[in-house]
Amino acid sequence: MSAKKPKITSTSPNYKIWWTAFALICGVTFLTRFYKVLEPDHICWDETHFGKMASWYINRTFFFDVHPPLGKMLIALSGKLTGYDGTFPFEKPGDKYDDARYEGMRMFCTTLGALIIPLTFLTIWEMTKSLDSTFLGTLLLLCDVGFLTLNRYILLDPILLFFMSCSIFGAFKVRSLTDEGYGPFSTRMLAWQTFLGASLACTISVKFVGLFVVLFVGLRTVADLWNVLGDLQKPVSLTIKHLIGRSITLIIFPGMLYVFFFWIHLTVLSKSGNGDGFYSSGFQARLQGNSLHNASAPKLVAYGAQITLKNHRTGGGYLHSHHHLFPAGVGARQQQITTYTHKDENNRWIIKPFDREAADGVVVVRSGDLVRFTHLTTGRNLHSHRERAPITTKCMQVTGYGEDGVGDANDVWKIIISGAKDGEEVQTVRSRLMIVHYLQACVLTTTGKQLPKWGYEQQEVACNPNLRDKNALWNVEDNIFEDLPKVSFEAYASGFVERFIESHAVMFQGNAGLKPKEGEVTSQPWQWPINYRGQFFSGSAHRIYLLGNPVVWWGNLVFLVIFIMIYVINSIRDKRAEALGIHLQDGKERRLLNAAGWCFAGWALHYVPFWAMGRVLYFHHYFPALVFSSMITGILTEYLLTSIKSYLSTEIGRTMYHCVMGVAVSTTVYSFYLFSPLAYGMSGPLAHEPNSTMAGLKWLESWEF
Amino acid sequence: MIIQRNSAKCKDLKNQNEVSKFSKENDWCPDPNKPLEDKMKSYDGAPQENQLEPTEKLMPSDKYAERVSLNLHLEIDLVFIGLLVLALGTRLYNLEEPRYIVFDELHYGRYVSLYTKGVFFFDAHPPLGKQLLYLAGHIAGYDGNFTFDRIGSPYTPNVPIKALRLVPAVAGSLLVAVTYQVMLEMSFHQWTAILAGLLVLFENCFLAQSRFMLLESIQILFGLCGILCTIKSTSKMGASCVIWLCVGAVSLGCCFSVKYSGLYTYYLAIFLVGRQIWQRIGSKESTLHLTLAALWRIIVLFILPLLVYVCVFYAHLIMLPKAGPHDSVMTSAFQASLQGGLASITRGQPLHVAHGSQITLRHAHGRTCWLHSHAHVYPVRYTDQRGSSHQQQVTCYSFKDVNNWWIVKRPEQPSLAVARPPDAIRHGDIVQLLHGITSRALNSHDVAAPASPQSQEVSCYIDYNVSMPAQNLWRVDIVNRDSEDATWDSIRSMVRLIHVDSGSALRFSGRQLPSWGFHQHEVVADKVITHQDTIWNVEEHRYTKAEDRRERERELVSAEMIPTAVTQLTFWEKFAELQYKMIAHAPDAPHGHMFASEPAEWPLLVRSIAYWLSPNSNAQIHLIGNLVTWYAGTISVVLYSIMLALYAVRRRRACADLPIRATQRFYDAGFVFFLGYLLHYLPYYFMDRTLFLHHYLPAYIFKILLLSYVIDHIYYILQLRERTKPLTHVFIVCVVVWLAYVVLTFNKFSVLNYGNVDLTESDLINLRWKDTWDFILHKKS
Repeated sequence: MSAKKPKITSTSPNYKIWWTAFALICGVTFLTRFYKVLEPDHICWDETHFGKMASWYINRTFFFDVHPPLGKMLIALSGKLTGYDGTFPFEKPGDKYDDARYEGMRMFCTTLGALIIPLTFLTIWEMTKSLDSTFLGTLLLLCDVGFLTLNRYILLDPILLFFMSCSIFGAFKVRSLTDEGYGPFSTRMLAWQTFLGASLACTISVKFVGLFVVLFVGLRTVADLWNVLGDLQKPVSLTIKHLIGRSITLIIFPGMLYVFFFWIHLTVLSKSGNGDGFYSSGFQARLQGNSLHNASAPKLVAYGAQITLKNHRTGGGYLHSHHHLFPAGVGARQQQITTYTHKDENNRWIIKPFDREAADGVVVVRSGDLVRFTHLTTGRNLHSHRERAPITTKCMQVTGYGEDGVGDANDVWKIIISGAKDGEEVQTVRSRLMIVHYLQACVLTTTGKQLPKWGYEQQEVACNPNLRDKNALWNVEDNIFEDLPKVSFEAYASGFVERFIESHAVMFQGNAGLKPKEGEVTSQPWQWPINYRGQFFSGSAHRIYLLGNPVVWWGNLVFLVIFIMIYVINSIRDKRAEALGIHLQDGKERRLLNAAGWCFAGWALHYVPFWAMGRVLYFHHYFPALVFSSMITGILTEYLLTSIKSYLSTEIGRTMYHCVMGVAVSTTVYSFYLFSPLAYGMSGPLAHEPNSTMAGLKWLESWEF
Repeated sequence: MIIQRNSAKCKDLKNQNEVSKFSKENDWCPDPNKPLEDKMKSYDGAPQENQLEPTEKLMPSDKYAERVSLNLHLEIDLVFIGLLVLALGTRLYNLEEPRYIVFDELHYGRYVSLYTKGVFFFDAHPPLGKQLLYLAGHIAGYDGNFTFDRIGSPYTPNVPIKALRLVPAVAGSLLVAVTYQVMLEMSFHQWTAILAGLLVLFENCFLAQSRFMLLESIQILFGLCGILCTIKSTSKMGASCVIWLCVGAVSLGCCFSVKYSGLYTYYLAIFLVGRQIWQRIGSKESTLHLTLAALWRIIVLFILPLLVYVCVFYAHLIMLPKAGPHDSVMTSAFQASLQGGLASITRGQPLHVAHGSQITLRHAHGRTCWLHSHAHVYPVRYTDQRGSSHQQQVTCYSFKDVNNWWIVKRPEQPSLAVARPPDAIRHGDIVQLLHGITSRALNSHDVAAPASPQSQEVSCYIDYNVSMPAQNLWRVDIVNRDSEDATWDSIRSMVRLIHVDSGSALRFSGRQLPSWGFHQHEVVADKVITHQDTIWNVEEHRYTKAEDRRERERELVSAEMIPTAVTQLTFWEKFAELQYKMIAHAPDAPHGHMFASEPAEWPLLVRSIAYWLSPNSNAQIHLIGNLVTWYAGTISVVLYSIMLALYAVRRRRACADLPIRATQRFYDAGFVFFLGYLLHYLPYYFMDRTLFLHHYLPAYIFKILLLSYVIDHIYYILQLRERTKPLTHVFIVCVVVWLAYVVLTFNKFSVLNYGNVDLTESDLINLRWKDTWDFILHKKS
């Protein structure tokens, strides 16, 4: 891009207009965002989740969530600072807040949500240096009712969108600096890059969809470097310096920041809570109040020890048995074996050599040993045979068999420590064990499927002939044996790095598990750009409905199509001009189109991947893409008008230009006025009834207000 | 400047179809580094005539076009024949062994049997491959009387195994020859082309996949042929250009009519043609000429494959006229258009639903189930403490049952007998629906439904005297009506039942009820009436017979004379429905299949697939690649990416490392092979289903082509500079040694493809080059 840009200085006449526009946008933003911000005074939609999590942070109790921690920590911090004490239960949407101090949290989210608009203003300005595009693009976003609604509650989205806007702004600021020729290590450059890096880290620490903006900035950075590289006046070393500068500020620094947020997360949540069960024994040993905290047990497992076996799958339970038989018709009528997520006397097993009742003296169990497991309370042996498992019929049934520890040859199991050589000692907690049936050559596993009522809805245990089953790993958790010295569990507790990695594994598994159930109606990506259906935030007397301003959304949609057409036509024209030797001039239009191109890339990056996602999707996933889409509309409107103007005489052209701009602005503002009750609360009859306040505004059958 | 081919200089190149080549470098390359480039060229030791002059496609001219099309030479390429013979030898050897069902022959064999019998079946893959198998079976006289029950069960003598396996085997053999042709067409050295052909020939995974009734080899062959023809058309002018593109388009159509993954090949071809047009936009051609050139290409490339696809389905539906086990997937109308099955039940049933009609109401789209009720009530309280109406349950039940019968009644008429002439129900009429067995009326009210609380509960009304009046009036809304007073016809009419009091529509919610509802599906009244699940149709239909039975019956007989052949669906209706069902069909492949693998595991061949194990020896068949080629291929992808980045950066700094033609070739190879590889590979990362190694094969063929090119390119770079020239000999020796190793490995592993050798435990351990490969061993008894 050419470095000759209209420079705003305090003396230029544009200066005043620019500041007026900016001030106007800021003012209106804050008015619209904070109007009735504390209504309704009950829990709206997902506030129930994030409020609850904020309470847990304040109370420091451990929990499990599929999102990274930063957003929730910020909510908790704002709550703590404004006097919320973490006692409100946040049970379900619609519950009154009464005395709970929710205001601070809501105001905090709203503030961040409001800041998105000025940031967008600055971003478009940075891209185009053109006030008309900037103003229109920002106004569209400002007047979108859906954007307003989403950014006013205790949710992660305002925080996510705020950091995302920071990142985009930073990316284009860095681009301008690069174009203007600032050195790779100049203070300004480094400062803005650090800002960009920090924003990226924050975005992805709020929700993993932040990854898309990271990709966007990555593309942008590659393009910058490519431009620098293409300048043959400059040496290659300049590009390398830029590369080094960016690697440090945009990769290493955000990476460290991301880890740091997790460190805070894991340090703050130091007490045992309802999320413990998702994590391994080593992880749990870190949590105060957990039975593994400050406990002690022998380090090695010896024959004759009473042990509990925990499945290594995330959320896996303990190997369990009880005085009940499999019902008739479900394999052999022997005692049930299940996994059970709670701690219980029935989880205890005694480990014995395969051929004797007890070993002579203290003999430690080693990898490759043949053993038997006898259930402590019922005296049955862990047993498997050629019968189908109750649910997963590919696997074999696992039962409790025998009397007082006397069974048959099918009770023999081979213990193998995963990834270790034969002969290595089995350790409490640390060793990951595969328990292979000696005769049937199958591996003890839990399928994670719930048994029906006869199995008390505990999880199925089976013996899988496929030895590569990923769920077939177990570890010894409790280990009661008097003749070996006890070691504090502190020794087994995972270090920060292990816990960091484990929380990611659990989060990814949690995310992958968010699959729509059969027949469940979920929001589909194709519905989003056309504003097909919204989402109720609050029902009853004070109805709030998350739905985009149709004028803005449908306008955006049209301009997306227009953009593709213009882009294709322009590319062909350029190619032809090049071939025929016509020189096209670089002008404002080219700069606008370039900016629109980047916005389109951003839009596509934030929208297209959802088509390939198998997880449950929601309407509000589209809002990051909406930011880009609105920018395109703003920029392209000016582009089109300027193009048309060049065909008309100066006088008519200018009149037309201003008329169209005026119409666009006033339509947007008026539509906002019309649809604003969606965000500020509706009461009375529904919109399809004639006496409703929203009568006549139900333009699509699928809208539910 | 025109360089005429010197035919004496290329006597070892028997394949060349092109008659002459034109070089216009000086015109089309306004390269600022011209002197440098010329200097480079003088070092260009490769025989000039082997290199593609990409100028023809850039500089089209009618004069040249004429000359090319007039001189049509037919030459026999001995290498081509040689490769084909070798391939046929390896692929056809002992083809009927083993005489057992191997892997997916189970499915494809089943389909062949069904084709033979003409019984309709539903499969999520398109039919061409199966039709080809059927054709072979038909010619060999297969009678369809073999039950493909499980993998590993023996064939009976009436199954012409050899014929059935012949189609994939021949396709797999041709693949070798076509690979050779593609490489030649890209105008690399003939040796490179031979190398590519040999690598495919000595590739165990292609061998294994070609020897059984599996569709991949057919799909890949069609795809590669399509690409070959497309490339040929881009380098030719005039009539031959049109012909090649047409042939290519048909071949590509066949490709994705075998398996939908063939679509990626199709996209690649579209891209190649698009690239050609794009390059021509940058030439000095007249705009009109350009537009026409683009237009006919677009038409050919879009219409022909689509035509092939539609024809294949036309044949499919013609071939399968009879009802069969998969009928219930389809709508009532579709079922009724098949012989037997539903058609035999509904034959002669009255057309118009009238007051007094007894009907079954089928949920029209999506899951097959019928509106159902039974003498059980909703529990007073659900587990989440919400209350219910405690009235009789209404569900959607997936099986035919006597409780699926409902009687249509006009609210004001007391008698249930059908009047004469029948009082037909029309669009907009208000009716009641009485449950046949319990005689209770279908009802809905402002009570939250059991599993979807945002919707209204639907029940059969029981009057408990608790000031909960009956709200049992429903308006019939015929969705596909052609006029406002259309009659409600059985099977044909798609209806919505709108609850009069609330304006909600009767809907299948998709959720299952808990055990108190016998795990049947929930039915609700939903405010959103436009949802597809609110659509129902009458399937079985009969008129209620009154007291005076004999007389009524006679009338009914005359009523049944109403034309019953209405369920003749047109081909397009059937086609559309089948397409919709195929897209909507969620594959319920078992997760965690023992031999399933992840896309990330494919480039390093982490997993193999066991296809078959002999019941009485340890002879076995696996889908496993030739590890030597496999690794080299992966390395070549990495190398190519590095070179691509390197050249791009160097060019950005205005350094030309390669002569302009070599650069051109480098990118050509990239756009066909590298892009082809990525297009066939990357999409699998986004697929949420169980994947197997054989999904990688279409990508793998492009990888082998890329590998050959990279070897060619390294050779070229080495001999480009005087300093490295001696290394070329070393390099050639390396390649030959490596190739020998490839052949040896192929030979070693071929026992796992032919399945004719009883392997001992030590043999298997010897073959188990990776810990992650699972071979099977019979237990010593």
